[in-house]
Amino acid sequence: MNEELAHLHEVSIGYVEPLVQDITIEIAAGDVIAILGPSGIGKTTLLRTIAGLVRPLSGDVELGVEPRGGLGYIPQRLGLVGNLSVRANVEMGARVRLSKWHLPFLPLPKDLNEEVTNCLESLGIDHLAEQPVRILSGGQQRRVATARSIAQAPKLLLADEFLGELDDDNVEIVMSAVQHVIDKQNSALVMVEHHEELARQVANRIWKIHDGRLIEED
Amino acid sequence: MQKRFFLIVSCIFLLSIFLFFDLVGEWGRLTGGWGNLVIFFEESLWPPNWKVLEAQSYPICDSKLDIFCSVAWLGIVETLKIAFIATVFGFLISLPLSVLAASNLSPIYLALPSRILLAGMRSLPAIIWAVLFMIIFDVGALAGIFAMTFYTVGYLGKLQFESMEGIKNAPLEAAKATGMNRFETAWLVAIPESANNLLSHVLFMFEYNVRHGSVVGLVGAGGIGLYLNTYLKLAQYDKVVALLIIIFIVVVIIDFISMTLRSAVNEGGDVERPTWSSLFLPAAFTSSNHPTPMKKETIEESE
Ligand SMILES: Nc1ncnc2c1ncn2[C@@H]1O[C@H](COP(=O)(O)OP(=O)(O)OP(=O)(O)O)[C@@H](O)[C@H]1O
Ligand SMILES: [Mg+2]
Repeated sequence: MNEELAHLHEVSIGYVEPLVQDITIEIAAGDVIAILGPSGIGKTTLLRTIAGLVRPLSGDVELGVEPRGGLGYIPQRLGLVGNLSVRANVEMGARVRLSKWHLPFLPLPKDLNEEVTNCLESLGIDHLAEQPVRILSGGQQRRVATARSIAQAPKLLLADEFLGELDDDNVEIVMSAVQHVIDKQNSALVMVEHHEELARQVANRIWKIHDGRLIEED
Repeated sequence: MQKRFFLIVSCIFLLSIFLFFDLVGEWGRLTGGWGNLVIFFEESLWPPNWKVLEAQSYPICDSKLDIFCSVAWLGIVETLKIAFIATVFGFLISLPLSVLAASNLSPIYLALPSRILLAGMRSLPAIIWAVLFMIIFDVGALAGIFAMTFYTVGYLGKLQFESMEGIKNAPLEAAKATGMNRFETAWLVAIPESANNLLSHVLFMFEYNVRHGSVVGLVGAGGIGLYLNTYLKLAQYDKVVALLIIIFIVVVIIDFISMTLRSAVNEGGDVERPTWSSLFLPAAFTSSNHPTPMKKETIEESE
């Protein structure tokens, strides 16, 4: 049995009205989970609930990882800091691997700096490193957001449509970079993906949200 | 939806019209006022007396150029110095306070006291602070600096926590989910995300402090206001006008500097920064075709 990274027990999610009810699932190391479901059904809300950003309406969410450094999150809207350079954004991911007493205006230690450079290279955005994020294209920004999470080397990575807006070649590049990090430390990936075919290719577990219920496919 | 919006706006407008007539009351007093104004303008205000640009005999000044010994120069330079120091100090103090006061960055038990503190510093106008600090430090620039710094903290702090509250949620969520602490979130996310507004507010505050340097000067706290005060007392309105024109020119210059600086963090300003020629000449005369950055918001003055 693999190490348990998150456990949801009879959780119902939503803001005022419940969107999805009675979710009981666990996420273990090594899982690659794809969440499928139509627009507006609550996929993003589920990820945000696991990430601790919205409180569940009922039930418990238990995390087996320390959020700082352990939990990676790529929001659907990316959440990059537009006025900072690509490199500064990716460094943010690496920074949470340090103690929280490492002051944010101090530079990163050398080994982390090298890792940031590697992340930029593995996602093919090293030539953009000094550009402000706000001038990049949609697909480029998506790769920056992925790079930020990879630099963090999280145990549990929650990725909300992180392959959107990418052409086939880039899907391959991004996916193999993520796969590399996951394999290296036996992490889990939970991804929301609209392309069912793509989702089935990469995932080893599929969750479908339908009619206010979450169903796991065998 | 649009109908309701239109209804609300027209109600507010009608209310203001009603309050206006209610306040003014008697219109008869206004007759003949225009003629008086013209006479006052022609006899006392115009033309401006540019003697303020000539060297004065006291305090002794040994610069070769006359203008560097003039009332206007000495006054405006001291005002600029006071305003600069007060704006920098005020910014350094208000920045951490505004992070604490922003409701999307800090819990309510930190945000509320910080807001109350800022409101307190803001509700005393600079001129009252000036009087208070004059009692402590005696007449002079030090009282002016302290007064303006205090007021700047209260005013700038409010503008800044509001622009921090206006930033997008996604970057904050990304920071929160990965366990970044408040200091990191403020330094790496909130401040850079609101940089355009923060910069514009600081520069506006500097401009404000230059203009209000003249007010603080009125209570004897140094700068060009000291001279304004003297001329007002002596009823030398033509000299007052000359000094006001100089203040106006300085304010306009600060505005252009602000526009240029902010283009560094504007969406439109990435590829090309506006040049002086593009600011003054119509677009057709300049080679570049970027839109001229516009002031994104107008800030209400609470005076
Ligand atoms: N902060 C919020 N407050 C209230 N309601 C919200 C909030 N965020 C999302 N919702 C609502 O919750 C519902 C589910 O939204 P969610 O973002 O989880 O959908 P989704 O499955 O991710 O859809 P998509 O595939 O389009 O991204 C939507 O109807 C949305 O309007
Ligand atoms: Mg979504």
